[in-house]
Amino acid sequence: MDLNIRRKSTKVPLTGSLVETYPHDLQMYKIPPIEDITLQEFENLALERVTLLRSLATATTLKGLRMYSEEWTDYVIGELRTQGLKYYAKLCEKSSCATTEADLQARRKDHIAHFILRLAYCRTEELRRWFVARELELFKMRFATMRGEAIETFFKLNNLCYTSITDEEKSEIIHYLRESTPHPNIENMKFYKVKFYEVLDLVKMRKVYLSGGYAYIAHKDFISVLSAQYRTQLKQSLAVACHHLGEIEQDERLVSLLKGLHQSYSGNDYSSAKAVIPIENLDSFAVKSFPLCMRQLHEQLRVAHHLRHGGRLQYGLFLKGIGVTLEDSLRFWREEFTKLMDLDKFEKQYAYNVRYNYGKEGSKKNYSPFSCLKIINTTVGPGDCHGCPYKHCDVGILKNRLQGYGFDTQAIGEIIDITKKGHFQVACSKYFDAVHHSDLGLGINHPNQYFEESQKIAKGDVKVEIKKEVKSAPVKKEVVDELDEMDFDEVM
Amino acid sequence: MVGHYDENMLPEMLPIYYTRLFPQNIFCRWLTCGSSPQPLSNRELSFTLADDVYLRYLSISNQKELQTLLQKKCPHKLDIGAVYNTKPSIGRHDAVVLSRELVFDIDLTDYDEVRTCCQEAKVCEKCWKFMVIACEIIDKTLKEDFGFQSILWVFSGRRGIHCWVSDYEARTLDSPGRGAVADYLCLIMGGDNQNKKVHLGSDNLHSSIRRALTIIDKYFEQLLQDQEFFSTSDRLDKLLKMIPDETLRSQVQKNLESMPDSSLERWKTFLSLYENYTRESGNNSRKIRYLVEEIKIQYCYPRLDVNVTKGFNHLLKSPFSIHPKTGKVSVVFKPSNAKNMKLDEIPSIYSLLDDSAPDNAQHETNMRTAVKNFQEVVFSLEKAEAIRRKNDANMSIEF
Ligand code: SF4
Ligand SMILES: [Zn+2]
Repeated sequence: MDLNIRRKSTKVPLTGSLVETYPHDLQMYKIPPIEDITLQEFENLALERVTLLRSLATATTLKGLRMYSEEWTDYVIGELRTQGLKYYAKLCEKSSCATTEADLQARRKDHIAHFILRLAYCRTEELRRWFVARELELFKMRFATMRGEAIETFFKLNNLCYTSITDEEKSEIIHYLRESTPHPNIENMKFYKVKFYEVLDLVKMRKVYLSGGYAYIAHKDFISVLSAQYRTQLKQSLAVACHHLGEIEQDERLVSLLKGLHQSYSGNDYSSAKAVIPIENLDSFAVKSFPLCMRQLHEQLRVAHHLRHGGRLQYGLFLKGIGVTLEDSLRFWREEFTKLMDLDKFEKQYAYNVRYNYGKEGSKKNYSPFSCLKIINTTVGPGDCHGCPYKHCDVGILKNRLQGYGFDTQAIGEIIDITKKGHFQVACSKYFDAVHHSDLGLGINHPNQYFEESQKIAKGDVKVEIKKEVKSAPVKKEVVDELDEMDFDEVM
Repeated sequence: MVGHYDENMLPEMLPIYYTRLFPQNIFCRWLTCGSSPQPLSNRELSFTLADDVYLRYLSISNQKELQTLLQKKCPHKLDIGAVYNTKPSIGRHDAVVLSRELVFDIDLTDYDEVRTCCQEAKVCEKCWKFMVIACEIIDKTLKEDFGFQSILWVFSGRRGIHCWVSDYEARTLDSPGRGAVADYLCLIMGGDNQNKKVHLGSDNLHSSIRRALTIIDKYFEQLLQDQEFFSTSDRLDKLLKMIPDETLRSQVQKNLESMPDSSLERWKTFLSLYENYTRESGNNSRKIRYLVEEIKIQYCYPRLDVNVTKGFNHLLKSPFSIHPKTGKVSVVFKPSNAKNMKLDEIPSIYSLLDDSAPDNAQHETNMRTAVKNFQEVVFSLEKAEAIRRKNDANMSIEF
């Protein structure tokens, strides 16, 4: 990438060349921009794109909207408008290949901003993962809003030529295509044969017919092929960018700007605690200050004297994050586990994991406690009781549990209603209010944040007034903390 | 045959087992092929010694080194890891995983909520049928849908089975790819707090699910009788909780509770109630269009440990390793033969090395068959690898 930063803008490129460079609203960002821009514009473009990417994350996590659903897209575009990012709203609303000056300028900004963020986000594996996941969501959303002719042009511009299967071949498998492809009117569609790993998102959702290692996809499924390519290309270029950081970072102003970019939003990862929490208090904390996901694990451990791997990890890291020391943690797990197994077995099979969580074994990494997003997207299998109860519990079971805790009917009703709509974190926030007899409507996005907010109330830092002031759940603190999420970038 | 296992005898027996019975040659050839184009020495092996001492990052460059290493360390358990860009060693945290068989791990403990004959570490002929179904479904999917050919099925030594796919495409599949294959195969989702773990929606059923159901149907009635899934009120309750439609649920409850215990009879009654109900309520029953299929799947479909499949460097027990607790050999079996396997006919180190043991002869025969099964897979893998390398060479000449 060849971006020269000048104090003042030196040249304005001719519209003519812009038409050639930016023929289409949607780009795959294959070629880096070559032009001079001011530091001011550099900074603005960077911040604006971070805002754009954050609004995608917010739509999914805090608002609980289904990715790529109409409401989801509407929310994002609405956000862009309120934030004054009209050019992004325009690019996202319906991607086209018009050539007005406004179109071209929007694409130019989009192009440059994307490359600036590559520099900011190539630094660590976690940042890369977050960035790739958001850029892919953006790409898919924009592809989905594209109309007929624009799609054709996009394919042509990007040299995507695949030949469709013959009519005979199609009629041989038409029965399977009908069963396995979720599109209406299979009869009139052309089908293409690609390797199964080119359309992993369709494979994992079982939305494509597979035979002999090939996936048979319809024209509109090409978004899967494209986004897979885009993902690979983006991952590679981030790795390359990371190696060349040194060259760009001659300029100190740039360095601090790029480094600060994500930090200003990344918030706390709760990997180290502020205070020490004695394990003797855990039973009472579980009732008063734990979110339901952790309370559930705590109670299960007390009852069954055992937790499966996923539960140990989720709960163990949480405990570390609230301030349980390694020594206490070992003692806590040992005391429970050895009610069923002998000490020797515990020391051999489980103590390692506890130390591992604290970065004392294996790769010695200081692992962060899981965020809500990670917990919500985690795989929960038979025998497991980790995960997020609003997502991973049957409503009936959840209701019984809440009744068992003695909440009043109205509070339970509210929590259940919201859970049914799939707004897990909002339900969690209602639970918070029910426990604390408050009406704060916090935006919960991390179990450890939940704990800290609860502690603030306990210590009197936050006064609880039982008043109806806040209508919906306002976002009190934005914590973009899903960085260590492994699977999130694969979520369709 | 039962009874005389004594873990204390292992240190004496293992060296003999490794020299006389462990198929070292085929084992090395299998790993060599599965590591190519990297050399065999870039593959991680790990040993568990007596007293659970765990040695990671071991490696060998040929059969001779394997023999020496086995004699020197005498591992109670042998695990296989990934292929790295360099010789694996403890110090190298920068080593990169380049390839790894695509693996599946199915363990009967994950069936504890459905099986009624045994729990936890126990297994019997009855619950082995779950493994038979799992093996058949996964094997078909890997071959027919994904086009894989080099598939090795191994008894895990106690209560489950492992599957190793060595095709080049499978070995080099990246982690999103592995995740997608695992998810494609995974139909049962949810933890202890979710009663209904299978949701098939109301649109067309994917071809792979239809095929799985055909396989399940071959065994379903037998399993119903073996396991008596619905014979007690607790078990019946589990079934009822899977029925989302309240009217149907109370109908089923009323009828089944007043019937004799037989699960098969209860199931048949359930089916006819279900059919009547959906016929009468027409379009309103779309929600429960696949209820019968969902129940069959929840009770019989393979329960994978997806994390093992998704992970790149999860160590997995080697074929022909000994299970330290049972003494049983992790034999290689043919998927078509899974249903004929008898658990107590699976060779154990104790009967193999004791001429006077009553099932010595049979265990020896079965051990030979297992080695032959292993050979067959390895030979065809070697062929496939040779073709691939030839094609690769041709490709590079063209460019
Ligand atoms: S929303 Fe977050 S904190 Fe609340 S229960 Fe779910 S995972 Fe836990
Ligand atoms: Zn059994």
